[in-house]
Amino acid sequence: MESLISSVTILRDSLSGDYIGFLRYAAPVLAAILLLRCALPLLTFRREPEIWAWLNLTDGTQVPITHWENVIGRSKTCDVTIDFPTVSRNHAVLTRYDDGSWTISDVGSKTGTLVNGRAVQICALKDRDRISIGGVEMQLQPITARQEARQAELRTKAASGWDTLANLMMLTLLQCLMVLGFLLGSGEEDLPQIILGFGGIIATQWVLFLFYCVIRRKSFEVETIAFFLCTMGMAAIATVKPGETVKQLMAMVIGIVVFLIIGWSLRDLERAKVFRYFAVAAGVGFLVITLLFGTEYYGAKNWLIFNGLSLQPSELSKVCFVYAGASTMDRIMSKRNLILFIAYSIVICCLLALMNDFGTALIFFCAFLVIAYLRSGSVGTVALAITALIFAGVLVLKIAPHALQRFSTWRHIWEDPQDTGYQQAQALMCIASGGLFGLGSGQGYLKYVFAADSDIAFATVSEEWGLLIAVMMVLCIAIYGFFTIRTSRVARSSFYSIGACTAASILVIQTILNCLGTLDVLPFTGVTFPFLSNGGTSMIGAWGLLAFVKAGDTRQNASFAVRLSKKEAAKV
Amino acid sequence: MNRVTKRTWLMGLFLLVLLGGMAFFLVEYALFAETWVTTVGSPHVYNNANLGTGTVVDRSGQVLLDISEQRTYASDADTRKSTLHWLGDRKGYISASAVSNYAGKMVGFDLIDGVYQESGDGGEASLTLSAEVQNVALNAMAGRKGTIGVYNYKTGEILCALTTPTYDPDNVPDIASDTTGAYEGVYLNRFIQSTYIPGSIFKTVTTAAALECVPDILDKTFYCDGAYEYGTERVTCETAHGTRDLKGALASSCNCSFAQIAELVGKENMLKYVEQFQVTEPLSFDGITTAEGNYDISYTAPVSFAWSCIGQHTDQINPARFMTFMGAVAGGGEGAEPYLVSQVRCGEDVTYEAKTVKTGRIMPQETAETLQSYMRANVQNVYGDWNFPGLNVCAKSGTSQLGGDQTSNAMFAGFVADEEYPLAFIVVVENGGYGSSTCVPILSKVLAACKDVLDNQ
Repeated sequence: MESLISSVTILRDSLSGDYIGFLRYAAPVLAAILLLRCALPLLTFRREPEIWAWLNLTDGTQVPITHWENVIGRSKTCDVTIDFPTVSRNHAVLTRYDDGSWTISDVGSKTGTLVNGRAVQICALKDRDRISIGGVEMQLQPITARQEARQAELRTKAASGWDTLANLMMLTLLQCLMVLGFLLGSGEEDLPQIILGFGGIIATQWVLFLFYCVIRRKSFEVETIAFFLCTMGMAAIATVKPGETVKQLMAMVIGIVVFLIIGWSLRDLERAKVFRYFAVAAGVGFLVITLLFGTEYYGAKNWLIFNGLSLQPSELSKVCFVYAGASTMDRIMSKRNLILFIAYSIVICCLLALMNDFGTALIFFCAFLVIAYLRSGSVGTVALAITALIFAGVLVLKIAPHALQRFSTWRHIWEDPQDTGYQQAQALMCIASGGLFGLGSGQGYLKYVFAADSDIAFATVSEEWGLLIAVMMVLCIAIYGFFTIRTSRVARSSFYSIGACTAASILVIQTILNCLGTLDVLPFTGVTFPFLSNGGTSMIGAWGLLAFVKAGDTRQNASFAVRLSKKEAAKV
Repeated sequence: MNRVTKRTWLMGLFLLVLLGGMAFFLVEYALFAETWVTTVGSPHVYNNANLGTGTVVDRSGQVLLDISEQRTYASDADTRKSTLHWLGDRKGYISASAVSNYAGKMVGFDLIDGVYQESGDGGEASLTLSAEVQNVALNAMAGRKGTIGVYNYKTGEILCALTTPTYDPDNVPDIASDTTGAYEGVYLNRFIQSTYIPGSIFKTVTTAAALECVPDILDKTFYCDGAYEYGTERVTCETAHGTRDLKGALASSCNCSFAQIAELVGKENMLKYVEQFQVTEPLSFDGITTAEGNYDISYTAPVSFAWSCIGQHTDQINPARFMTFMGAVAGGGEGAEPYLVSQVRCGEDVTYEAKTVKTGRIMPQETAETLQSYMRANVQNVYGDWNFPGLNVCAKSGTSQLGGDQTSNAMFAGFVADEEYPLAFIVVVENGGYGSSTCVPILSKVLAACKDVLDNQ
């Protein structure tokens, strides 16, 4: 009997060696194909200029209106340029709504905007209304319903359902192979947790896919990439803290709910504007609660211990900040709106300074920078922002000695690899030990190092699954960035493009700080890697940000954030 | 809208930082990954401060250290003691830099697969040392401090490199509370890390310099009445040697004659030849760099210069380096640089194989041959050829005075002028007294053991 047991054990041992030998090549190949299939449609869809209306001038010229929000003015950077001395640089904004109606709003012009001879601040346009901008007369002629339907038909379709299905099956295969790796290599007591963690992700992704089928949305690439990152994060947690897989899974499910809610709120701009007020309040609220009831760890007061759960509400504040910063074109032009936003940013900044969390403050600051630039682009604003960055930087370095110490270790980790440079030196040693294909699930040593599943999770994945997969994780985030740049050109409203661009910037910056910090290319700041790092609030925040990225997608049938066209809806 | 759209290039900036940073890292990875993996503390390769994988064997294949699981040393206490300084201890006080140097090769590291191994067999590093010779040397030292080095000046293999005091890593003595001084400098590998006042073995350097730059040196004779005066200062001998030529001066190690030879050579030439013979330069092999010697005669009075040519003054030599100099003399002006690790395997794959590196010509063949014949005469006439049966030993002894009332260090350096046994050696016994009387019996045993090893190959 004993010999039987021992031979079974030997069989398992020898099998596990062979299996890991197979898995270490299979996993990166599968992942590469999957990401390529997801990235290509996101990065190559056609972006035809769409015409939504014509502006007929009295001299007979017709100016095409190509966006839902259009600035009219003398400046060359306006969407509609009218080079006439009485026209202000930025004079008025012409806005289209979801139901096809149009409004015109004056944005503080010197000579005013007249509709049918009456000076207006904001005015809904009816057919044949005479608009006068600085004395220049014009009429708006929206496209007909037929033209609109034709335009919708021409728009690039999101991936077919079959492609999405194939991608999802490929991801599921990858996940199953990874679980099998853990089955052969891990201790028995951890197995239920590991199976539950991976199984939960598989179940969640399929449920979400079915939900998309029900609401007739076909594009799943953005989500598939996020699920891939979550899977790799789960692999790191399964190695480092197998007991926390279920917790992370729950966070992911909550994150997806948040993702859907924000997506729904963004679908209707009017609804989004209402939500924005909630978000603004919540953003401050999360930080205030942390300050009042938070616990200090490593010099930063950014943790909230609640019923044994440790939360980091500042992660959620990021999402709120994006909401607060996004704005429609007609509001961007108003000074009041800008001043309110700057005031809001200062409040947030002060709260962060009190919390003493360098990494988070830096991310907020970059987000502020992006929003400020997208909104104004004026040199003055950027200069102000940079001044503030220097201020904040000096302040933080003064009040946070641990941040200063991290700066002094930067590019010097090998001078003291056993002490101040320990985490990163170990990370680099383990990344190199893993090579391009990794050592196999559970075979790493980095798990014994502090924060192996969060701050240096990138290295943990690299050690066990190989540098190829680790680099692919970075490319995943980069894909979001490129995708956002592409979609912003066809975005319906600046609300979406600012939201998407800021959200994607936060994801990219977090990746920069986490990943390049781990690798000692940049100073180590202890920021989480989106979707990957162990941490519930970070996971929820990442999905929340993803909703903004997703909302920028205007491909036909792609995003839940864009209503189906009438014809499309009637057909189904 | 146009404006907002155009400004999204800002995102491109972030992407540039991200992708640029990653590209920078990948370049670093390609360049330094092996260094990272093999840095002390690397968890897949090291176990505390010393290498944590594979086995280390001596030239006959005897396992000196097995580090697959824990650090298991050789089964007999003598071998454990005599090889400790090349293997490292369990606590990391003694670092085995030669073996560590090949850590990456032992774990089979490469950029593609990292340290992943299909077979799971550990690596194996083969040393050129012979445990047998090490043990003979250890016993011959009989508890005295010092070092013994023997290497093949044709191939570069180090057969023997013993450093004492040492201890048994499986039976660690209470070193910290020892007051007898028996364990003074016990963590030091004297062969590579120490420098010593050379004493008269340095006269070989001066002799070679004289042969090189004094045209009629072979016709010259020198008179010794026991002291050679420089005003109030003097260079002295223990006895008056009378009239000597160069060969005779070296054989009787006559200080007064060498003071006169020093005058003929001159400071400038002496500096030139010390540099050319590389006597004080650090030696590098297998990732080890030896201590740097010293020959400094700036601002010296004539008497000090004379002493510097006799191997006193502020002269310092490193044993491994001086042994290499002896090898170059034996090889006719050009020898091999020593090495310790002959081969590294990872599983079945040979990942490293040592190659002989020549010292380059440091002196003309003629000079080397003359010096060889002088050193051969030393053994025949002074040290006693019967001590080394079957071996054509050429040597020079040294008794380096340490000042104060300390007993002198006994030094002995030379080589075997024999095609079959191309061995160069150095013996240092700290506070050992007279060079020849202390070192010759030790060397006699060690060379005999080396001869056996070469015979059995």
